[in-house]
Amino acid sequence: MSTSPTIPNAAASPQPSPTPNGSGVIARDQRRVSRLLLLILSRYGTLIGLALMVILFTVRAPEAFFNITNFVNILSQSSLTAIIAAGLTMTLVVGEFDLSIGYAASFAGLLVVGFIALNGLPVAAAVLLMLMIGAAVGTANGVLVTKVRINAVIATLGVGTILTGLGFAYSAFPIAAGIPQSFDNISLGRPLLGIPNPIIIMVLVLAILWFILNKTDLGQKMQAVGGNIEAARLSGIRVDRVKIFAFGAAGVCAALTGILLSALLGSGTLAAADGYLLDAFAAVFLGSATLRDGEFHIVGTLVGVLIISVGFNGLSIFGAPSWAQDVFNGAILIVAVGLSTLSRRYAKAG
Amino acid sequence: MSERSGAWLQVRGLSKHFGGANALSAVDVDIHRGEVHGLVGANGAGKSTFIKCLACITTPDEGTVSLDGEPLALGNPHTPEDAGFAFIHQELNLVPHFDAIQNILLGVPKPRKAGFTQWRQARAMAIAAAERIGVDFPLNRRVDELTVAQRWLVMIGKALVRNASLVVMDEPTASLSAVESDALFRIIRDLSRSGVAILYVSHRLDEVLDLSDRITVFRDGRVTKRADRGELDKAGLIQAIVGRAVPSSARSVRAEIDRTTPLFEARNVRRLPMVKDVSFTLFPGEVLGLGGLVGAGRTETARLAFHADKLESGSFLLEGTELKARGVADAVKAGIALIPEERRSEGLILEKSVQFNMSLAALEHLRALAGLPFLSAAKQKTRTLEMIRALSIKTTGPSQAVGRLSGGNQQKALIARWLIPGIKVVFFDEPSRGVDIGARQEIHQAIRDLAERGIGTIVISSDVEELAMLCDRVVVLREGEVSGEAVGDEITEQAIIQLSYAPVHEAEGGTR
Repeated sequence: MSTSPTIPNAAASPQPSPTPNGSGVIARDQRRVSRLLLLILSRYGTLIGLALMVILFTVRAPEAFFNITNFVNILSQSSLTAIIAAGLTMTLVVGEFDLSIGYAASFAGLLVVGFIALNGLPVAAAVLLMLMIGAAVGTANGVLVTKVRINAVIATLGVGTILTGLGFAYSAFPIAAGIPQSFDNISLGRPLLGIPNPIIIMVLVLAILWFILNKTDLGQKMQAVGGNIEAARLSGIRVDRVKIFAFGAAGVCAALTGILLSALLGSGTLAAADGYLLDAFAAVFLGSATLRDGEFHIVGTLVGVLIISVGFNGLSIFGAPSWAQDVFNGAILIVAVGLSTLSRRYAKAG
Repeated sequence: MSERSGAWLQVRGLSKHFGGANALSAVDVDIHRGEVHGLVGANGAGKSTFIKCLACITTPDEGTVSLDGEPLALGNPHTPEDAGFAFIHQELNLVPHFDAIQNILLGVPKPRKAGFTQWRQARAMAIAAAERIGVDFPLNRRVDELTVAQRWLVMIGKALVRNASLVVMDEPTASLSAVESDALFRIIRDLSRSGVAILYVSHRLDEVLDLSDRITVFRDGRVTKRADRGELDKAGLIQAIVGRAVPSSARSVRAEIDRTTPLFEARNVRRLPMVKDVSFTLFPGEVLGLGGLVGAGRTETARLAFHADKLESGSFLLEGTELKARGVADAVKAGIALIPEERRSEGLILEKSVQFNMSLAALEHLRALAGLPFLSAAKQKTRTLEMIRALSIKTTGPSQAVGRLSGGNQQKALIARWLIPGIKVVFFDEPSRGVDIGARQEIHQAIRDLAERGIGTIVISSDVEELAMLCDRVVVLREGEVSGEAVGDEITEQAIIQLSYAPVHEAEGGTR
């Protein structure tokens, strides 16, 4: 038998201090309630926020806010952001980033007008060519990130900056002369039930991307790559190709947004669409905190875009000074990423 | 079984339970000042848990550790440092871009004067420690430019500058050459002579026998043998590690395997440092075990076959033709699957549903129309439900997040992922790790079912009993090379463990 007795070691086996029965139950109930509140906030917080904004604006400015014309107006304003943000969503789904989209949109808006006004290309050909260039830019981003293994933030920021420079080289001044009405009509036309074209294009783009993400092999693979890249690779998924596709899609969407913006403005202007980058990021992160636990998805992105547009609409209806828009923009980005992080943490802890 | 008291470091009645299993049960160990103490045991014998208790990474359920009669506060992270314990693990926790001196001094209280660190004095301390072990490389070299052997010296220097009186070394020679190992042994002997005790943990029994003043053997969380120098030879040590042979009543009835045409072959496969030269043959319908100790190169070999890592030399043959895959996707297309050991980090997408995870390798077969990349929700769901039933997976349904399933059911979900047409060879890496007994049997059944359909399966397991129960044939690896093979009734725990420890050249042909 052992000669040295075992000395009980307090540090070795900490006994949980017994809690009185009643307070323990209350504490557990409180925890359950706060968990439930957290769940509601992380999944439905954005939708509740959107609803509250609509109610507030309706009560405070019923005539200016709550009418069909204003709603169409909001959707119209949303559509360009929604398209570029949906493209961004694709890159975030595969776990990457694209900071070039705003610059790529500006570049596309300038170039497409140049193709038509300076090079005399037919409108359809110019648009098609520009979309292809957008795809090429996105693919370049994807190759840099996957094959050359440059961090996505750096690679896409670099590509975006190069595009800005190339745009400047192409035309330092806005191109406004020699643009046919048929180009402007891409954004200004209302061929279907009086609905503005951008809204129809937005619905189409979102539907296609939603379908790809949720109903095709490729979409499942994208979600797998974003969920656990090593597991995806070891399932036989060609991870690099999937990522390059996502970047390509983001490039096309960025180009499309740029084209629509130039058609809306009736001119091609340097850096016109740069600001869409922040809006898109805010929308996408708001979207990831919508309905799903921190996952990026198309429907969520649309909700995110609507929150931003309704917010801006309200600000302008109430005549808020222009600095308030920047404050709103920055705040919404922070709130969006915060909510998204909260959702993801909740999903992990759950 | 208790030792005479009076030892410098006394461990008494140390026990630790994980879930239902005893990792350590009432372990007594004595370590004397300045001795080299060998600690050996098979995988899972409790060595690492023991070390973690000493390092206060794990808090034992019961038991004490005392130093010169003073009990230590276990579970307090400062205890090891205060007691003068230093731990050198295989991973060598060094800051890669710091030089040797910076690494040696990291975290050590440095001499100060008027609030300023006296760097000159501190460096002198580090240099003195390095000289004590005869460091022959410039100390201002960055650690990531040093060889593994030199990094070991840096780690030992770290221990010395803290005046460690016990240095625990975990598999120190695992990635050292023979010459480097000899140099390390000299240092260990010098340290021991100067009063520093060494706890030497290793699978290399010759080294342990050669170096140790005393040896403690663990098996199944207990001390099964204590021996002074010269009391044990290698055979005796193996006997103590293995214990009595477990009766193999649980063994399955093995199908007669037609071993005429190989299904899959590895020919002199190599990728250093883990895989030096591995060849084996797998026949259709066979369950081939890949045995050996942790670090023998089994997982690495499987990853090479799956083309998750690139081969340095050698080749794989599938159905007689060389497999020319450029990556995992090609290997899968050819019909090879791998279910990794780290199923949570390398297998599953935890937040996603059971259906999503199961469908991942089968997407081409779940299309609405063949040829078009559109998925059929109905086909996906039908397949998922079929798999849930066939493998009796306990889940609330196809849409439950896979991360919420138990370990065994997660493993079954992963198996279901690969039950697709065209799969010919499936690698299972530690298929029943972290899985309860019931699920383990079901997983074994699933593996046998695959074999019966003519699929070749390769099972990597550190659980020798599992290999003996499950496999038609076992190939044992040791330090990146095949050390031997056992077929049918030759597959006993004794045989596999002997091969795991045997030097490669001795075992060749000897056991067949």
